[in-house]
Parts: sequence; C-alpha cells; structure tokens
Amino acid sequence: MHIALVIAVIISAILAVMMLFAKNPITSAICLLGILLMSAGMYALMGEHLVATIQLVVYAGAIMVLFVFSIMLLNLSNAESEFKNNPKMFYAGMTLGATIFSLLAYAVCTHFSKHTSSLTSGVFTNAKVEELGGNAKVLAHSLFSQFYISFEVISLALLVAVVGAVVLAKRKFD
Amino acid sequence: MTQEILVQVLAAFLFTVGILIVLLRRDTIMILMGIELMLNAANLSIVAFSKAAGMVEGQIQVFFIITIAAAESAIGLSILVNLYRNFGSIKTQKANTLKG
Repeated sequence: MHIALVIAVIISAILAVMMLFAKNPITSAICLLGILLMSAGMYALMGEHLVATIQLVVYAGAIMVLFVFSIMLLNLSNAESEFKNNPKMFYAGMTLGATIFSLLAYAVCTHFSKHTSSLTSGVFTNAKVEELGGNAKVLAHSLFSQFYISFEVISLALLVAVVGAVVLAKRKFD
Repeated sequence: MTQEILVQVLAAFLFTVGILIVLLRRDTIMILMGIELMLNAANLSIVAFSKAAGMVEGQIQVFFIITIAAAESAIGLSILVNLYRNFGSIKTQKANTLKG
C-alpha cells in the first residue's frame, strides 16, 4: 500500500469534516479545494495521469475560482454556525450521516471483491498501458474513436451552459 | 486490493458529507459545494473501480462528468447571483415565494 495515498485519504476526510462545520463559506471553499487537490493526487498515484490533470485544471482551477468569485460578489457578512443554537438538527444530521456512511461502506466492503472478480478483467493493465504509450495516449485514443459522438455532444452541452449562464446573469427580473 | 478498498471507503465518506452539507446547511452556495463534493466522490469511486477492473471506460466517463460539473456550477452560480439580486440573501429560508 502506498503511504502517500493513505496520507491523502486521511487529509481528505479531515478536510471534509472541516467543510461541513465551517462557519464561513470561504473556509468551506478552501477545504473543498484541498479535497479536490488530494483527489487529483490520488488519481496520479493510481496511474491515471490524464484524469489527474483534468481534475487540477478544470475542478481545482476553473470551478473553484468561480465559487470564490461568487462568494466575493455575494458579500456574505453575517455568517454564523447553523449548529450552535440547534443541537437537535446536529444530532439528527450526525445519525443520518452515520447511517448512510455505514451502509455505503458496508456495501463497498462486502461486494468489492465479488464485483471486481465477476467483471471481465479488462486488457488495460499497468504494463499494457505502459506499452501502448502511457495513460494519456490510451485515453485519447479511446475518446476520439469509440466515444467521439459523446465528446461532441458534451462540447455542445458546454456551449449551451455558457450561453445560459450569460443570459441568467444579465437578465433583469421585473 | 486494500488500496482500492480504502479509496472506495473514502468516496463513501465524501459522498455522505456531501449529502449532509446539502441537507443541513442553509446557504445555497454551500448546497452547490455539497453537490460538487458528491460528484467528486462519485468520480473517485468510478476511477478506482475502473483501475481495479483494468478498463479505461470509467476514466472516459469521469472526463464527461467533470465537464458536466463545470457546466452545472456555471449555471448554478448564475442562478445564485439572481437569487441574491431578488431576495437580498442567499439563505434558503428567504426564497419562500412558492411556499403555500
């Protein structure tokens, strides 16, 4: 087991809990940025270099800049903890969270070996990917041959989203 | 194998925290961040499974999910700016026009 991966897992879990309990949205945004950076590190440790790069550029770069800019525009001043004067909600939330997490973790742990062994084991092992010229080359080949229609449709969806965001931000409601 | 289980458990934990943020926090910007956290947890799980199974399809799907997440956050944040413009606050209690 890679020791850096364990450290990244622990730091992500701590940052997630800090994000849940942070009073100020900017603190939560910074914690989310840390989680995304740790995820990029985990992708890189698992050998998925293209996904790690995209995670860094798109998620940790573009999306988080958008979030921080919105927090700056909204001028959130009177931030206070939602759990301070509402302990009932705190305990209900923790119970719910513990239930959901234990169910998810139980499902993953009991079915992981079964699922991975019942899957037809793919051809892209580490040695094969290395032989074909690296992770980015393999992914790009698959993206522009097998999935090229999806790729074009996604680019169209992104264009529609950009136009929609501009329209929504410019509109004056009467 | 233990490494992949660890990543899967972390993905489950991050997803749970995302659900709790969406359900418990009253700021709409926190709700959007919770959605991003849940998407990230799903990405982590998909990539770990794809790695364990020796396939690249999972990574392609994650590529598409990240693109959709970027579009979603752009739309969501512009809705948020409109919400602030109309109600003077981004708390969920303030946007109660449709409440009966």
